[in-house]
Amino acid sequence: MNTAIRLENIYRAFKNHFWQKKKEVLKNISLEIYQGEIFGFLGPNGAGKTTTIKIITGLIKPDSGKVTIFGHNVDSMEAKKRIGFLPESPYFYEHLTGYEFLKINALLSNYIDYKDRVHDLLEKVGLKEVANLPLRKYSRGMLQRIGIAQALIGDPDLLIFDEPLTGLDPIGRKEIKDLILEQKAKGKTIFFSSHILPDAEAVCDRIGIIIDGEVKEVGELNKLLKRGIKTDEISLEDWFVSKIKKNHA
Amino acid sequence: MHRIWAIAENTFKEGLRQKILILLIVFSIILIFISIFLEPFALGESPIILRDLGLAAAALFGILVVIIIGSNLIHKDIEKRTIYTVITKPVKRSEIIIGKFLGLLLLIAILQCAMIVIHQLVIFIYEGSFDLPLFITIPFSLLEIMILLGILMLFSSFSTPTLSAIMGIIFFVIGHASPDLKLFADQINAAPLKYLAYGFYYILPNLENFNLRIDLVHKLPIFTDQIMFSICYGFIYTIFLLYLSIIIFEKREFK
Repeated sequence: MNTAIRLENIYRAFKNHFWQKKKEVLKNISLEIYQGEIFGFLGPNGAGKTTTIKIITGLIKPDSGKVTIFGHNVDSMEAKKRIGFLPESPYFYEHLTGYEFLKINALLSNYIDYKDRVHDLLEKVGLKEVANLPLRKYSRGMLQRIGIAQALIGDPDLLIFDEPLTGLDPIGRKEIKDLILEQKAKGKTIFFSSHILPDAEAVCDRIGIIIDGEVKEVGELNKLLKRGIKTDEISLEDWFVSKIKKNHA
Repeated sequence: MHRIWAIAENTFKEGLRQKILILLIVFSIILIFISIFLEPFALGESPIILRDLGLAAAALFGILVVIIIGSNLIHKDIEKRTIYTVITKPVKRSEIIIGKFLGLLLLIAILQCAMIVIHQLVIFIYEGSFDLPLFITIPFSLLEIMILLGILMLFSSFSTPTLSAIMGIIFFVIGHASPDLKLFADQINAAPLKYLAYGFYYILPNLENFNLRIDLVHKLPIFTDQIMFSICYGFIYTIFLLYLSIIIFEKREFK
C-alpha cells in the first residue's frame, strides 16, 4: 500500500517560559497513513494530537525525526500542493465574505479560474445562500463548513482535519461525516483527530491512539476492538476509556 | 504572482475595514482644512502655511496608518490563527511577507492620493487655482512609508505589536534627525564617539532624503540627481528590510 503520511521517530518538547523545564509533547512517535484510507487520530486532551497535526502540516518542526507527505519533505511545495487542512476551532478573516474567503484560498491554491470552483464548493457545503455575508456573521457550524470548503479548494489528495466534528449539532456532524466518506470514495486520504468517538467509529478505516505523547495503538478498528476482549459488543468509546484508565493506572 | 496579489488584496481589504482608519482620515482632513482658518495669523505667509500644513497632514496620516496597522500586520494573523490556513497552502512564506507589504502600501498610497486631492481643492477654494507640483510629494512620502513598513514588518516577524510600533516610532524620529546626526559626527572630536555617530548615520535610514516639503512649499529647485538618489536609496533599503523579514519569518513556528 502506498503511504500518504510517514512520521518517523518524531520528538518534540516545548517550554512555555524560558525559565521552565521543557515538557515532552511527542516522544518519538512513528506512524504511517496509507493512501485512500480514513485514519482517526484519537486521544485525550493534551495527548499531542494537535502538535502532531501541526508537524504534519509544517506549522511547527520536530526537534528530531522525519515527516514526509507522499514521499516529499513536509515543507516542500510538492507536499503543500497535496494537503488540505482544517485547523481546530478555525478562525478566519472576519471582514471577508464567504465568497471572498474562498476566492483568496483558491488563488493561494493556484486556482486562477476560481469562479466555478468557488461556486461549486459553496454549494457542496451548503453556504451558497450566505456567500455574500461577512464571516463574522457565520455561526459555528457555518464556519466549520467554510473551513472544510477552503481545505477542499485545491482538490488535495490528503485532507487533514483537526477536530472537525467539535461544536457541531447532529445534522452538522452527519454532513461532515458524509463529506469525509465522499472524499474517501474519490480516492482521497483523510487524517483527522476527534473527541467524538462514535462518529470516528462510524467513518474510520484505521485509528491511532495517542496518550501522553506516545502512540499506544494503531490498527484497524474491528481488530483493535476485539483484541483481548471476549465480548463482540464493545464500542470504541468503552474501549478508549478502558485504554486511558489502564494507561494512568 | 497571483498568490502575492491574493494576500495583498486581503491585507488591503482588512486595512480598509479598520475603524481606526476612518478616525485618522477625519483627523487628517480636519488638519488640511484648518489651514484656511490660520490665515489671520499667517502674517502674509498664508500660501506657505496652506501648503505646509496640508502636506504635513497627508504625511502624518501615512505615518500613523503604517505604524498602527503595520505593527499588527503579521502578529494579528498569528494571534488569531488565521495564518494557519494560509501557511499550509502552496504559498512561499516570502510571498506572504511581500503580499502583506504591497497590500498595506497600496492602501496608504490610495488614501494619500485622496488627501492630496482634498488639499488641492482647499488650495483652489482659497487661491482660485491648483498647485499641481505638490503631487510630487506622494511618491517620496511613499518611499519613506516603504522603509517604515519594512522596519515594522521586520520587527513584527518576531516580536509583539507594541515593540514593533515603538521601534517604528524610534526609527521615524532618528530617520528624520539623520542630518543632525551627521553634523554631530562631523563636529565631535572624541574618535570612538565620532565613529559611532558615523556608524549610526550610515546604518540607520535617512528619512530626510524623502522630505521635499520645504523645497516645494518655498518653490526651491529640485535636482534630478537628488530625486534619483532618493528613489534608489528607498528601494534598496526596503528590499534589504524585507529580505531580513523573510529570513526571520521562514524560521518562525506557529505553536
